[in-house]
Amino acid sequence: MTCSACGADLVYDSHEAVKGPDGMTICPYRGRGYSELRAAHDRIYFGKWRKMDSTTADIRRAYNQIGRHLNSIGRVLETKDLPAAKRDLGKAVEAYHAGDPAGESPNALRFLDHALSYAHMAIDDLLHEEGLPPHDPMEFSKWYDAVEVPFKEEW
Amino acid sequence: MITLHRYPREIMLRDGARLTLRPMAREDAGRLWDFFRRIPPEDRMFFREDVGRKEIVERWAELLDFDSVLPILALEEDLVVGDATLHRNKTGWKQRVGTIRIQIAPEFRNRGLGTAMLREMRHLGEKAALRHLLAEVIEEQQPAIRAFEKMGFERACVHRNFVNDQKGRLHNLVVLLYPMSYSETEMVF
Repeated sequence: MTCSACGADLVYDSHEAVKGPDGMTICPYRGRGYSELRAAHDRIYFGKWRKMDSTTADIRRAYNQIGRHLNSIGRVLETKDLPAAKRDLGKAVEAYHAGDPAGESPNALRFLDHALSYAHMAIDDLLHEEGLPPHDPMEFSKWYDAVEVPFKEEW
Repeated sequence: MITLHRYPREIMLRDGARLTLRPMAREDAGRLWDFFRRIPPEDRMFFREDVGRKEIVERWAELLDFDSVLPILALEEDLVVGDATLHRNKTGWKQRVGTIRIQIAPEFRNRGLGTAMLREMRHLGEKAALRHLLAEVIEEQQPAIRAFEKMGFERACVHRNFVNDQKGRLHNLVVLLYPMSYSETEMVF
């Protein structure tokens, strides 16, 4: 399903999913702070680009998704007085540019992973400011095609 | 001077626990002393002063000067469960360097409070226009080191057999630095 509210693109409905009065599955991000940013993060985090059988197209797609994700975070931060979060976003942007798959860097994937990690930090900064706990993608992993552990954990 | 309008503020931990963050007040001496008494002796060994003595904590409360030491307490109702301090020099060559110290009550460890308080310190450091945040952690405190690194702190150096505990055993001291050198223009995407 694709959530009409936050845009979460959920591959697998879990049998644990909560149903609304109309019998429809309720998006797990619903009611969470910055649900759109969380959903966008997780869609990339659990994306195919991080798997062993990823193709060049998958990586290119992820690069574009990360770019849009960083833009979305930037738009939210424009109205906030959160220099630490802006710094995290700045680092994400720096890593993002270094990870351009069209470039020659042999570490492009690693840079993209860093960009996503810094984006996650910026989201956590926003959540902290609202008094909310940090975002934990693994809480939502059952909704995604996440049978493999992302390569980040192998480092 | 850092404005403290944001306090008191409520935070929620991942397990749903709700805490209040606010700067220490003079009336908190008893609560803070009680908090330090609940810190295990092996952790208290690394404190710079003997916080087991109530008069030490009372002196801190009497001499509160947020421009030098800004203590932020985490409270569960009336109980202090965390204490984070931002230490600054008003003048001199380190006036743009802030030193962070964080202590968490044993029952609140591994629940995200340390990270939340670290995030709070980082915010205050930004507001104080510091150039670097510095933290010194005993090498055995790996969860704390990982939390600092996850937050963007870099391991600047490790002093081997540098500090001793109250039993005279030597420990490695890890120095972590958080650079605050990005300008606003560098952050534009």
